[in-house]
Amino acid sequence: MTRIDELRILVPVDVSGTEPPPLDVLDHLGAVEVVLLGYFPVPDQAEPALLRDQYGSKATDRLDAVADEHGDPAEVLVFTHDREATIDRIADEYDCDAVLTAGRSTVVERVLVPLRGDVNLNRILAVVADLLLAGNETATLFHSVPEDTDPTQGELLLMGAVDRLVEYGVGRDRVDWQLSKGGDPQTDIVELGAEYDLVVLGETDPSLRERIIGNVLSAIVDALDVPALIVRDVE
Amino acid sequence: MSVEGNELERTLGFVEAMTLGGGTMIGAGIFILPGIAAETAGPASSISYAIAGFVALLAALSLSELATGMPIAGGSYHYVNRALGGLFGAIVGWGMWTGLMFASAFYMIGFGQYLVEPIPFLDGRVFIVGLGLVGLVLLLGVNYYGTEESSAFQNVTIGVETAIILVFVAVGVFFIDPGNLEPFAPFGPGGVVATTGIVFISFLGFEIIATVAGEIKNPGRIIPLSMILSVVLVTILYVLVMLVSTGVIPFESLGDSPIPVSDVAVTYLGPAGVVAIVFAAIIAAISSSNSSILAASRVIYAMGRDGVVTDWFNVSHPQFYTPHRAIAATGGVTALLILVGLEVETIIALLAEAASFSFLVAYSLVHISLVVFRRADPDGYDPSFTLPRPLYPAVPILGVVLSLVVVSQMATVVVVIGSGIVAFGVVWYATYTRGRVVSEGLLSEAIRGKPAEPFRVVVPVANPATQRGLLRLAAASAHANEDRGTPELVAVNVTPVAHPSPFQNVEADRFEHQRELLKSAHDIAAEMNVTLRTRTVVAPDVGEAILDVLEEEVADEAILGWDGTLGRDGHVFGATVDPVVRNASCDVSLVNLKNETIGTPVALIAPGHNAPVIAHQAVEFATVDGTVPTLLNVQPPRGKSGSDAEERGRSVVVDAAEAAGLDPGEYEVQVVVNDDIGRAIVEATSQYDTVCVGLSGRTEGSRIPFGTVTERVVHDVPSNVALIRGS
Repeated sequence: MTRIDELRILVPVDVSGTEPPPLDVLDHLGAVEVVLLGYFPVPDQAEPALLRDQYGSKATDRLDAVADEHGDPAEVLVFTHDREATIDRIADEYDCDAVLTAGRSTVVERVLVPLRGDVNLNRILAVVADLLLAGNETATLFHSVPEDTDPTQGELLLMGAVDRLVEYGVGRDRVDWQLSKGGDPQTDIVELGAEYDLVVLGETDPSLRERIIGNVLSAIVDALDVPALIVRDVE
Repeated sequence: MSVEGNELERTLGFVEAMTLGGGTMIGAGIFILPGIAAETAGPASSISYAIAGFVALLAALSLSELATGMPIAGGSYHYVNRALGGLFGAIVGWGMWTGLMFASAFYMIGFGQYLVEPIPFLDGRVFIVGLGLVGLVLLLGVNYYGTEESSAFQNVTIGVETAIILVFVAVGVFFIDPGNLEPFAPFGPGGVVATTGIVFISFLGFEIIATVAGEIKNPGRIIPLSMILSVVLVTILYVLVMLVSTGVIPFESLGDSPIPVSDVAVTYLGPAGVVAIVFAAIIAAISSSNSSILAASRVIYAMGRDGVVTDWFNVSHPQFYTPHRAIAATGGVTALLILVGLEVETIIALLAEAASFSFLVAYSLVHISLVVFRRADPDGYDPSFTLPRPLYPAVPILGVVLSLVVVSQMATVVVVIGSGIVAFGVVWYATYTRGRVVSEGLLSEAIRGKPAEPFRVVVPVANPATQRGLLRLAAASAHANEDRGTPELVAVNVTPVAHPSPFQNVEADRFEHQRELLKSAHDIAAEMNVTLRTRTVVAPDVGEAILDVLEEEVADEAILGWDGTLGRDGHVFGATVDPVVRNASCDVSLVNLKNETIGTPVALIAPGHNAPVIAHQAVEFATVDGTVPTLLNVQPPRGKSGSDAEERGRSVVVDAAEAAGLDPGEYEVQVVVNDDIGRAIVEATSQYDTVCVGLSGRTEGSRIPFGTVTERVVHDVPSNVALIRGS
């Protein structure tokens, strides 16, 4: 179990809109390295090169403006038919540990960390530890168990996770946990998330069902109006 | 930090490319055409599909090589335009655009037929045309507003379509009545070939893989693989569908049906089968028509980019970012074509054949373009997939011949329409394109069989005092290499600024200085009768900027001025020169001009791969004043007799000169035998006006190897010194 030494996050920004996304959260994350990905969504009908020719300089300016406001991080600009694929590729290329989505928060004091299970748990906790050690937020670990199951399993998971963070050097008073019984995890996370400044989620491989009807994770991210940090599952 | 260009995305893998190609192909063609095909070729129409598939396969092979060589939007149009010039570009561009509109109209009428025919009381052509128009308008609306990549939805559609066809074939095989397949070819080979022209439209779509080549991962493998495989699989599928159709129902009655596949299905799959087939036919029509509209907008984009049509079509919608004008224009003409269906009964066959005609013409020109590209071998064309022998030249030759055979068997009216479109392309080129774009194509180079590339020497200029001398050397070098290309000089002046930005004001006197410098460069070039281009660059780092220019210009040689100082501020030659010497991929000469005259050059030749470059450079410099250079080698007096050393030295020089391709009359040989090599060199070279010395070999890492001999020459010889580093 190793810590991630230098937390590097990818921040995708839609550069086709005139309104810059709310990224104040970036200035409150402490010492993380940021890669700013400006993407310009290209509809199926248009050739990416067509939009690049027409909007290339405007997109560059917008991306530069966002970068200027947030400490001049590395920038990448892409004209793409497929936003998700682009984010994946750039995150791979730049070796990013997590992807940050924009949200309305202006400070980061309370972080919500929903945990699904053992999948990707190590990396999620490593990223959370890095975040907490770099700043002075508090975190709430969250897990949801179905109605009829024994809740001890969930409690064990959460307490184990807290211990893990403490091992990393996070003060125990900065971490608490919450177990929900019988609710729909997706709704719970969205509702609870509204009370926090940042939600840290773990990426999982989409199931076949998700591939066809849409990803649960992106549904949660879309419903949240606070920023979300999606920890990539690279193993 | 840096912005990494405006990247375009490579997101398509093998599966995506296959579904894209296969999905675009498997479409309305197979649901609508079997009736017409059976009518004109009988059961042998399956052979027509096989031939059409083979013609498509040949095109796919040629396109694969071209697409991996030029992964840029536009497909066939783009390759032909580059290879054969604007005239053929216009013909193919317009041909493809109209062909796609014919195809789109064809699909939408087929769509109407499948919707209307099963409902007895809604019969009639008005309804068919009306439904086709409604379908088209919906499609145009969707495309006007723009859609996001929805590969999941596409995959489901294509999967369902293919599954239904597979069930149709798999079950149908058991219901084939061999009696129906007799006689197999009632209309003879002529009928089979004529039918090929009609059904060729069913294969449109594999080309989409070439048009999105720029978005495909690992293109050298995936493009040819997915193109070939999708064409082969689809051909097999079509042949089976045709065999089953003509085997289950006598071809005469199949020929009467506008919805043949559904009529076949009803005999053994019952009403449920009919519903499934109708469903598949409708989504096939929609998806095929949709792909045609998308492909059309890509062709128009490419034509606008090259100036073949106005760029007005390519302005994207300010809100939806779609090329809305191109889509509207395509839709408008397609709607008119559908409306023609009200008057012309055989509209379906006509549209199919007209579309096939356009694409057969386009593909035969694509085959020719491949040959042209191979022969001319232009810069930047470096396909990661090449047709192996004997596929090349068999594929392009066979491709052209077969396309022409199929075209020659088409109905007269189609040939007239098709030729009309070709003629329109010619007239369009003559009246609009010509004079607007200079795209001559590679045809003349292909005929000559040798690229007319320039031999380009790049000279960074900054100092008015030395630029004349540098340009003279550069011009001499370029002229001396006339056998390698037309001499061309590029003079670059770099203005260093801390943060380059187009809005930043560089001080006015700097610009004045730059203007003077480049103007006088032009004057010097005119005196020396050499083509000169000037470039001005504003950049934070002069060395990096020069490297960029060398790369962009694909320079053959670079000649840099240098003041002769060594080891300043931790650099070998200086902050600007070091990175160029270290990283340039062409020959580099670093010249310290101490005197006006170049006079007789001497080159220091020592064994090594750099020696021929140095020898050649000395010969080049000698042409400035019309002298004969000396190639010098210094040997230590090993052994007893001096003549051995003399021999050794001479053979070193002659070897280098031969490697450089020099004739014995082009140089003098001087061998000095001395214990103190360094001193001997300084003494010998001081007799000459200009000394050419090598920098030892290719530099590795950050170090520039710099021999002690070279150092002594730089310090102690009063002549001009040129340090030469081979590429």
